[in-house]
Amino acid sequence: MAAPSARGETIQKQIQQDWINREYIEIITISIKKITDFLNSFDLSCRSKLAVLNEKLTTLERKIDYLEACVTKGETLT
Amino acid sequence: MAGTDRVSMTDALSNVEVLDELPLPDEQPCIEAQPCSLVYQANFDTNFEDRNGFVTGIAKYIEEATVHAGLNVLLDEGQEHAVMLYTWRCCSRAIPQPKSNEQPNRVEIYEKTVEVLSPEVNKLLNFMYFQRKAIERFSQEVKRLCHAEKRKDFVSEAYLLTLGKFINMFAVLDELKNMKSSVKNDYSTYRRAAQFLKVMSDSQTLQESQNLSMFLATQNKIRDTVKENLEKIPGYEELLADVVNICVHMFESKMYLIPSEKHMLVKVMGFGLFLMDSDICNINKLDQKKKLRLDKIDRIFKNLEVVPLFGDMQIAPFNYIKRSKHFDASKWPLSSSQTPSPQADLMVHLPQIREDHVKYISELARYSNEVTTTYKECGTDSENKETADLALRGLQLLSEWTSVVTELYSWKLLHPTDHHQNKECPKEAEEYERATRYNYSDDEKFALIEVIAMIKGLQVLMARMETVFTDAIRRNIYSELQEFVQISLREPLRKAIKNKKDLIRSIIMSVRETCADWQKGIDPLQDPALKGKKDPDSGFNVRVPKRNVGPSSTQLYMVRTMLECLISEKSGGKKTLRKDIDEMTMGRKINKCNVRHHHNEECSDLITMEKRIQFPIDMSMPWILTDHILKTKEPSMMEYVLYPLDLYNDSALYALTIFRKQFLYDEVEAEVNLCFDQFVFKLSEQIFAYYKQLAASIFLDKRFRVECSALGVYLLPYPRASRYETLLKQRHVQLLGRSIDLNKLITQRINADMQKSLDLAISKFEAGDITGVVELDGLLQVNRLCHKLLSKWLALDDFDSMLREANHNVLAPYGRITLHVFWELNYDFLSNYVYNAATNRFTKYRGITFAQPVTRDRPPQMSHHYLWGTKQLNLAYTTQYGQYSGFVGPQHFHTMCKLLGYQGIAVVMEELLKVVKNLIQGNLLQFARALTEVMPKVCKLPRYDYGSPGVLGYYHAQLNDIVQYPDTKTELFHNFREFGNIILFCLLMEQALSQEEVCDLLQAAPFQNILPRPFCKEGEKLEAKQKRLELRYAALQIVPNIEKLGTAKQAMISREGDLLTRERLCCGLSIFEVVLNRLRSFLDDPLWVGPPPANGVMNVGECTEFHRLWSALQFVYCIPVSENEYTVEEMFGEGLHWAGCTMIVLLGQQRRFEALDFCYHILRVQRVDMKDETVKGIHLKKMCDRIRRFQVLNSQIFAILNKFLKSGENDELSVEHVRCFPPPIHSSFNPTGQHYHAPEHARP
Repeated sequence: MAAPSARGETIQKQIQQDWINREYIEIITISIKKITDFLNSFDLSCRSKLAVLNEKLTTLERKIDYLEACVTKGETLT
Repeated sequence: MAGTDRVSMTDALSNVEVLDELPLPDEQPCIEAQPCSLVYQANFDTNFEDRNGFVTGIAKYIEEATVHAGLNVLLDEGQEHAVMLYTWRCCSRAIPQPKSNEQPNRVEIYEKTVEVLSPEVNKLLNFMYFQRKAIERFSQEVKRLCHAEKRKDFVSEAYLLTLGKFINMFAVLDELKNMKSSVKNDYSTYRRAAQFLKVMSDSQTLQESQNLSMFLATQNKIRDTVKENLEKIPGYEELLADVVNICVHMFESKMYLIPSEKHMLVKVMGFGLFLMDSDICNINKLDQKKKLRLDKIDRIFKNLEVVPLFGDMQIAPFNYIKRSKHFDASKWPLSSSQTPSPQADLMVHLPQIREDHVKYISELARYSNEVTTTYKECGTDSENKETADLALRGLQLLSEWTSVVTELYSWKLLHPTDHHQNKECPKEAEEYERATRYNYSDDEKFALIEVIAMIKGLQVLMARMETVFTDAIRRNIYSELQEFVQISLREPLRKAIKNKKDLIRSIIMSVRETCADWQKGIDPLQDPALKGKKDPDSGFNVRVPKRNVGPSSTQLYMVRTMLECLISEKSGGKKTLRKDIDEMTMGRKINKCNVRHHHNEECSDLITMEKRIQFPIDMSMPWILTDHILKTKEPSMMEYVLYPLDLYNDSALYALTIFRKQFLYDEVEAEVNLCFDQFVFKLSEQIFAYYKQLAASIFLDKRFRVECSALGVYLLPYPRASRYETLLKQRHVQLLGRSIDLNKLITQRINADMQKSLDLAISKFEAGDITGVVELDGLLQVNRLCHKLLSKWLALDDFDSMLREANHNVLAPYGRITLHVFWELNYDFLSNYVYNAATNRFTKYRGITFAQPVTRDRPPQMSHHYLWGTKQLNLAYTTQYGQYSGFVGPQHFHTMCKLLGYQGIAVVMEELLKVVKNLIQGNLLQFARALTEVMPKVCKLPRYDYGSPGVLGYYHAQLNDIVQYPDTKTELFHNFREFGNIILFCLLMEQALSQEEVCDLLQAAPFQNILPRPFCKEGEKLEAKQKRLELRYAALQIVPNIEKLGTAKQAMISREGDLLTRERLCCGLSIFEVVLNRLRSFLDDPLWVGPPPANGVMNVGECTEFHRLWSALQFVYCIPVSENEYTVEEMFGEGLHWAGCTMIVLLGQQRRFEALDFCYHILRVQRVDMKDETVKGIHLKKMCDRIRRFQVLNSQIFAILNKFLKSGENDELSVEHVRCFPPPIHSSFNPTGQHYHAPEHARP
């Protein structure tokens, strides 16, 4: 009776350990998931900021083009 | 942090927690599906690899797990083969065929054919072997389970379900094989080539090839083989009945989560019944024996007439039944009837879906607010359960809506429309076109879009909550499982021990051992239940630990199966309770896996819409839907427009991750490229048109609008407010892994549209006469307003620079408008227009023309939105501006002033002066020279004694040559009119400009500390009031403020600006005066003044000076005309008089003209004698009337001219010009007989 119960005990310990291990894996997974989420929203936020910046630069560029054209009266600046 | 530093687990985790707190604002409203560049998926499905760990479980089920694992592998393999067949593209069509046996390179062709096709053929071979193997395995399993002994034992649910999956797989593979004729064609091409080359030499290969072509060529081969094999197994029908029944049960109690699971159940029912019904077995009899419930299945089949089979293929499960041996329509009343299935009508589902959506969204919002505002380590069990339920319900809703969409789509695919049902559908429409493009009504399309939008919208919301949800779900599952195992099972266990039911005891014990997670790491041995005793009165406390993890897939399978076996053996009272619990556990488990994957999950079937070989985008469902929104311009749908496009994302993802086919992805990509270009093109055009329409509607005269509606004329109201703003805010739209700045793309296009719009406005002006200038101004104003409205959302170029660019005014000093104004003045206005001071307008004379007819470019063709927005608005504005087209008046001069600006006006006037110079020194001088020669040398003022008829006769005789001169009344007057029109143009421009400037000045006044005089009551002091006002508006005054706050340079600039504004009018700069002085300088020929007077004072009777010539001309035009002739007023207008009078004034001959003019003399004499008779055909009275009229006109003109010319001179200056003559001396005193003394001889 002692031997099976000892064996049962080890198995129970193993199962217990399995629970713990799986919880650990689960937590790591959640954390990775959270990092992924963060990266995604970081991505979006950056994109929208960069888009605004890009727009400003484009506007400025076009303005410069226009002013350059006004100033040079035909000949190009070199 | 240095790379080598070790980070502890807790630190790492708290670092992750902190990430949440970083604010990452995204400034755009989310109107697309979950945008994610990065997807993280963890898969914990071990496919029973860890089965040996759970030795505490019952050995039989561990063995069964091994079988499951093997079957699952086969199912996966089957899926791969299905994908292979489904994505098969015909190769043989692309391979050249040898045309004749003599073709020299045919060997080469065959060799290449074999080389190209053999890898593909290998796949087919593998497929054949696989199906053989799978059928064998399946029959083997069925045989084992149908063994007489085994039949008594129970078969677990999981087992039955796996068998069901097999049945489903066979159905799918068989249908795919039947459907793909290209597979057969390719294989026969290969075979022909291979036979020619004798590649298959040995008998075994030949046999194999024979088998394969038979296998491919025989329809329904797999199905029939399965059936054949099964029929050999005694009792197989009962097992299949179990499978079908479990499917019915799961379907009815909604124990499925994703739509594909649901559809699989239905397919299994259909195919399963088909397999059962054979010579040996009659399903109708089974129904009678209550082994099957055909009525239930009938209802299911009716509700789901068509189910998706694989990809965009679909199948009607009832067809299986129809094809079975003992089919009896009376058993299937619903399915056999002709009434359409509810799945065909989306509209019936819609209200319910909407309601669910609103309800769920609000619940979710409440919950999400709660989560974000209150932070909790982990909730209580009940809270977790609530959250888990919420998540489950969300997933179920998603799944349900997705099913509705896919089922509708499948139904439509199987029931294409034709030109009888749908009038829009052309007769020659393709099959697929009839199934998609023409198969949906407008309402259905909208409903479809709405449902898709709800699915994707809810998915975004749920994805945001994902970590919260998964956390709660895991905790909930854990606690439910543990409480069930550790607490709920105690009582049955105690009873089993007490009653010595060893089997039950051992099963319960193994359940406990397999998955219990004890607080102390070990079974509480002291638990009285283990000894079959009741708890002591104080109670036995089992404390269940808390964890954030669910059971593993194998563990769950073991527990479920063992519990199931417990239930099936012992039909005790607790059965229902347990069943409930374990079903719940299972539901949760599925749920848990799915939250993580739901992104793909619910999209995957929408995509199915999408898999087809290269079709025009008109037939592609996502584009049909997107285009539908764009076409109808429905404002409430506009914000949904990105959702249908997202279906392309789904299909691309499916192609890459499920099908794993690069070429499929490339096809999707090509289609998306096409669609997206179209989309941006259409959208931006629409937005531009909308804002143009809005601007034009705002700009449209309000009274005009009111009067239109009073008259009952239909005029479009303001455009419906549309929600383009949300779309315009989109700066990152995810499409096939690219992030697209929609705002930027639209800005680019609208910038171009705006530019084109301005360009066309000017072109339109160029195509018309000068009266179009008012309409041009209106168009530019509407465009400016449109630009202003759009600029709120888009970074458009500066309007003024755009206008200058369109006007070609960036490089050149004057633009197209100025040039055209001048062109029109020169070629049309000066020579054809006639001025009338009474109306202050020029009108076009349409009788005799003296100038070349004007030819202009044709007006450019343009769509409505480049003009005023819509057809109706174009009509309204054309009518309005039509009022300005008959004349040139103050309005035109005002707009010309505005449009030309100082620079333009200066250019135009300069050019006009050149024209005048040419006239004066060219034509006019020549005419004058010719006419002076025919003028009488001397023409005195006859005495009153002759009477007016006599005077008239005298002049007529004297001036006969001039009257008779052929060109006088045509060419000459025409030239004078041109001259006069120029003078009038300059004068009227000056007037318009002054008004503009006054307006400017008034508007600038408050900023320059120029305030209107305040009203003063008696006793109030004006100064004090003035001071108060000045103080009050001190903040507005620019110069002092800038001096105070700005730099020295800024102060200087502002002072100068202020000075310029102030001085512009004060010093009375007048263009007209300058013009007159320039004109004076042109009159330098001696002819105009003639030789100096012989008497040294002035000419009286001599006809040498210009005013004498003009008097002669005046005589000519004062002669009344007969009925059929034209008067000068009619033909040349007042320009003529302006020209003459201006010359007279500039030559300083005004007084002499007024004193000595022939006509004036006739008038004076006539006034005295009041005679009226006809002299030489001239009616005297009428002539006098004319003279009087022109006299008044002339004096008005003189007055105006003198006002401008004298304005700068001082009074003293004019006094100096007065010459003093001594009074004449009677001839009796002066024997020389001189009348006058030359001034130099005059005595002072």
